[in-house]
Amino acid sequence: MTTQPAITVEKLNVSFGDSHVVKDLSFAVSPGESYGIVGESGSGKSTVLRVLAGLNREWSGEVDILGKRQPKIRDKAFYRAVQMVFQDPYGSLHPKKTVDDTLAEPLAIHGLRDAEAKITRAMADVGLPASFRFRFPHQLSGGQRQRVAIARALVLEPTILLLDEPTSALDVSIQAEVLNLLQALRQERKLTYILVSHDLAVVGHMCERLLVMQFGRGVEEMSAETLAARTPRTDYARQLLIASEGFRRAG
Amino acid sequence: MNASSDQILLALDDLRVDFHTPTGIVNAVRGLSFTLGRERLGIVGESGSGKSMTSRAILDLIPHPGVVTAKRMEFRGQDLTAMDKGSRRKLRGRHISMVMQDPKFSLNPVQTVGDQIAEAYRVHHKASAREAKERSLAMLEAVQIREPARVYGLYPHEVSGGMGQRVMIAMMLIAEPDILIADEPTSALDVTVQLQILKILDDLVTSRGMGLIFISHDLHLVKSFCDRVIVMYGGKAMETLPASELDRAQHPYTRGLLGCLPDLDHPRDKLATLTRDPAWLA
Repeated sequence: MTTQPAITVEKLNVSFGDSHVVKDLSFAVSPGESYGIVGESGSGKSTVLRVLAGLNREWSGEVDILGKRQPKIRDKAFYRAVQMVFQDPYGSLHPKKTVDDTLAEPLAIHGLRDAEAKITRAMADVGLPASFRFRFPHQLSGGQRQRVAIARALVLEPTILLLDEPTSALDVSIQAEVLNLLQALRQERKLTYILVSHDLAVVGHMCERLLVMQFGRGVEEMSAETLAARTPRTDYARQLLIASEGFRRAG
Repeated sequence: MNASSDQILLALDDLRVDFHTPTGIVNAVRGLSFTLGRERLGIVGESGSGKSMTSRAILDLIPHPGVVTAKRMEFRGQDLTAMDKGSRRKLRGRHISMVMQDPKFSLNPVQTVGDQIAEAYRVHHKASAREAKERSLAMLEAVQIREPARVYGLYPHEVSGGMGQRVMIAMMLIAEPDILIADEPTSALDVTVQLQILKILDDLVTSRGMGLIFISHDLHLVKSFCDRVIVMYGGKAMETLPASELDRAQHPYTRGLLGCLPDLDHPRDKLATLTRDPAWLA
């Protein structure tokens, strides 16, 4: 009675030269689920996302996405189904391209018609006024840029969105707006998310399940309920939870 | 919660920082007043709230075309507004010093970290190279670096982010300043490392009786770490309150900031968003 997972990762290993950054990692994400990956810097969480997105071609193991075994080099159809939003909206948008150029390019690559309507719709979906269409990134605030990055990912109408720290460069009030937008889009379009973050509260808010990573290994997979109840099984996950509660003065 | 007059390290009244740009005057800080005693004072606010500009104004590091004015700006009774550049410079580093956000960009990449700490000491104190080195090693130990002698000879690219930030703190504290300004000292670090750094700062502030200005955008962190908090928005203080009472803040801006944070204990389908009231800046 189990539905086929949207994403299955089996014994994924990634090495850069001598450093083995992802070790025997396995997990599965159901369609429509939001799955979090948390860990400290160097835990390999972003590398996993880059492998899934096809940005990293040096890996071994098995990756199945939407029922298809994925080769190292992905085809065009893959990129229509899977899109990624990056951490830093100041770095991920081309500084010399307008919002219109940024949104039109994926459509041109995939030879999709009706670009005009699709761009208008993508901008409306992420709450950007139509008047922003011919602005450059430097004429937008951080939150607006991240909306452009999300619109760029959505314009191809993917089913899976890979989110790499989508709000960590933003102020908390802007973070709330972007997280609300992502939640609403997921409900509306039945999207599947993988959200990488170092912020446990954000992951607890956005995801149903999450994986804690340390030194390239999956330490513990838990539900959002376990996270909220603060009852992880492993010491490391517990430590991470305590650390994220803030400073505690001894004595 | 005002410190008695001999305890006041820094007093600011109506601090303003204006940038005269070709397109008009930008008011980065608009009339901020506070006093700092031997305590941990938190300044929180979002980007553009003027929190970093405040610390730069205290250190006389506002770049052109910025202009700093204040009705009163005193460091231990000395009038900072009347002081010339040279005297301000002598205070900087020796009596008031600052730890920046990211050690990667604030350390000199072509000098060993130990030599940079020793240099900081010799700029402010007449000391032989040998004495400066001994003091630097002791300082590295004070910030809980395990093998000070080995770390002394490392270059910034050879140390981790957490270690780099310890080096920065060692460098800032070696001159034994009265006031330490920490501008987002831990936001580039992992949570577990962040707590170690805060513990070091906390111990040093307590044992040396320094005044600490802790600038951050992280409300939870400030609440758990500081004694008193100033909440800034648009260059103005919205409210000042004891850190322990931050959860009971009255001002709509502070309430809004707290409300839009995701909270594991109070899950919600939709996060509150902030509506900014132009009247706050009136």
